[in-house]
Amino acid sequence: MQLQYFLLIAAALFCIGIYGLITSRNAVRVLMSIELMLNAVNLNLMAFSNYLDADEIKGQVFTIFVITIAAAEAAVGLAIVLAIYRNRDTVDMEQFNLLKW
Amino acid sequence: MNLAEGVQIVSFGILAVMMLGSAFGVVLLGNVVYSAFLLAGVFISMSGLYLLLNADFVAAAQILIYVGAVNVLILFAIMLVNKRQDFVMVPRIWIRQVATALVCVGIFALLGTMVVTTPWAIVTTMPVGDASIVKIGLHFFSDFLLPFELASMLLLMALIGAVVLARREFLPEATLEPGDADALTLPERPRELLTTGRSDSTIQ
Amino acid sequence: MDFATLAAQLNAGTIVPEGIVIVTILLVIVGDLIVGRSVSARWTPYLAIGGLLLAVLALYQRWDSTSPISFFGEFNADNLSVVFRGIIALSAAGTILMSIRYVEQSGTSLAEFLTILLTAVLGGMFLAGSDELVSVYVSLETLSISSYLLTGYTKRDPRSNEAALKYLLIGASSSAIFLYGASLLYGLSGGETRLSAISAGIATAGLDQSIGLVIALVFAIAGIAFKIAAVPFHQWTPDVYEGSPTPVVAFLSVGSKAAGFALAIRLLVTAFPLVTEQWQFVMTALAILSMVLGNVVALAQTSMKRLLAYSSIGQAGFIMIGLVIGTDAGYASMVFYLMIYLFMNLGAFTCIILFTLRTGTDQISEYSGLYQKDPLLTLALSICLLSLGGIPPLAGFFGKLYLFWAGWQAGAYPLVLLGLVTSVISIYYYIRVVKMMVVKEPQEMSDSVKNYPAIRWDLQGMRPLQVGLVMTLVATTIAGILSNPLFTLANNSVTQTPMLQAAQKPAVQVSKDETVRLPIAL
Repeated sequence: MQLQYFLLIAAALFCIGIYGLITSRNAVRVLMSIELMLNAVNLNLMAFSNYLDADEIKGQVFTIFVITIAAAEAAVGLAIVLAIYRNRDTVDMEQFNLLKW
Repeated sequence: MNLAEGVQIVSFGILAVMMLGSAFGVVLLGNVVYSAFLLAGVFISMSGLYLLLNADFVAAAQILIYVGAVNVLILFAIMLVNKRQDFVMVPRIWIRQVATALVCVGIFALLGTMVVTTPWAIVTTMPVGDASIVKIGLHFFSDFLLPFELASMLLLMALIGAVVLARREFLPEATLEPGDADALTLPERPRELLTTGRSDSTIQ
Repeated sequence: MDFATLAAQLNAGTIVPEGIVIVTILLVIVGDLIVGRSVSARWTPYLAIGGLLLAVLALYQRWDSTSPISFFGEFNADNLSVVFRGIIALSAAGTILMSIRYVEQSGTSLAEFLTILLTAVLGGMFLAGSDELVSVYVSLETLSISSYLLTGYTKRDPRSNEAALKYLLIGASSSAIFLYGASLLYGLSGGETRLSAISAGIATAGLDQSIGLVIALVFAIAGIAFKIAAVPFHQWTPDVYEGSPTPVVAFLSVGSKAAGFALAIRLLVTAFPLVTEQWQFVMTALAILSMVLGNVVALAQTSMKRLLAYSSIGQAGFIMIGLVIGTDAGYASMVFYLMIYLFMNLGAFTCIILFTLRTGTDQISEYSGLYQKDPLLTLALSICLLSLGGIPPLAGFFGKLYLFWAGWQAGAYPLVLLGLVTSVISIYYYIRVVKMMVVKEPQEMSDSVKNYPAIRWDLQGMRPLQVGLVMTLVATTIAGILSNPLFTLANNSVTQTPMLQAAQKPAVQVSKDETVRLPIAL
């Protein structure tokens, strides 16, 4: 087992996340893509923690913080999606154009 | 307590395929409900990978928080906002998708090259393994005390804020005068709502 | 390790100001729960302002502290962080002054608004002193998540929802990218998370010119540039500024931006000394783009909030000049400009809020002829805008002068010349607004101004607005002429900060030593 395998699939997951972030039209799916990116980062941290920092495992601590904050971010994000859905009756990103980009 | 090498590689392969496959499903499938369930697949296979990395506590936390909380939250959100609606086609959207895909492949190539060429300073000490939870606890209450406490403020604020935003305001209809219809909006008048009108007409 | 030694090692005295803010937050929440919304609106804002001012006082006492490092290296309360934390706390105090009436008018509750705003301040203050990747990330997210919530606070308004959604999606993705960079730093340094240990770890591993470090740098800069709204990470700025409640915009443009600059200085100087040339190159490019795009696009704006959005992008470009030259004078001029920017930008936003509350619009054309109806507002807005443009006797002029002088001293001639040209452009669009307010004949008055309500300061929440207006006006006017204390403060904050002193000219030698030493080691 090698560190590089884990890092490579983390990089792949990160890029899938970026793809979903840019192309998704459903706001909820954009939030899911962000969760994918955060998971990729977590995998990176865990891999480094196991192979490079096996004594202190600070990477595992870091990952727990990331998980915590990702949960808070998801809650806030979905609250905002709910609020916008009530007013606009859609979650299509292409329709959110009251403000110019 | 490491598993035998062969078993590790096989399970790594299965988990990696599962995870990447579900991740592609999350971003590519048309129905967002399938995406949400596949997201749970990503989280679960991720937790398996954590087990391979000798991190049992984080693997459990991953299942509990991501699958148990975040994913359920996302499913609730889909239930609340899922109107069966086909998104209006935007012309030439495939150009954007292909371009994005190319950029993402480029980023992956860059990151992959970086991962492969960098000589990581791998240590050979035995991983702490089962003692990891003790170690994590020690970290939380010594050198990571500050972010640990700050995270509690963050969670409190996220809780209050999410409730404020997601709660429905029950305005008493009887006392609502015509001028009060926009009582809860910004004091500025909207600039022009031409775009809203157009988008509304395309939905219905 | 028993409890007493642990407590002694923590050196928790350094975060007393933040502790005061936390106590204030809890008092506001609990007080609001006990006495109810309508009663609490009368005293919670003043309690919050009191708490913030107390925190600033506590910061003042911690100036020049002998042992700034606390929480096992998590937090570094050096003088630079003290100044930045002070700026953030003061910007929030100013924001609260202007938000009381505004939040009242938008029909939302004030106590929750204050809670979220104070938590944002807390995040910003911790961010200014964080010296370790985990606490950088947690405090950055505390600031960001509270900002998303504040942006969407008027939830009945579709524009506010939309601004919050855009801000959240762009912000969360940029923080994910930042985090990927942070994870690379953790790996490259062989398991270090303290910023100062990271560069040492990377140098020991012999990775100081590796592609991984450059990728980590680019990803980290993406996260920082989002916070300070530098082009090309600025796309959220105009929309968020236009759609969110105006007091929130005031905080985002001053407090959140100051926190971003504090993070930029600490992260780039401490964690990336091995690639100083690269980060200075990238930040120079961002500074040029921000100055040009911010100031040129601002010319075409019709909404006052959007105008200030683009102007704030341009201002961020000016401030980055101080960052990229990397001298003592450069950092000091950044701090000095941010202090002045605090007063003049808050003043401008106070004026916009006042105008909005009285007329219900923020179109620039609606301001025409305002002088005949409301001389005080016209005077204050004119002074603040002219100061933002850098007209001589006002504070903004001295701020810009110091920035450009520092740049010139350091030999960054093209950057300074570009700064001069773009600030001349910026004067044009600021003057346009001033001209519209002052020189229009009575018959050219806009409809809003014609129907201007009688000026009343005795309504609830108007008095604080008046206080804020007068205070920022006075500060913007005299901070230029009597700028010496601020100037000394900015200089001392830089010269007495060990981190920056270590990174000065000897840094070049250190990196040379490394390159000399490494081949021998190999």
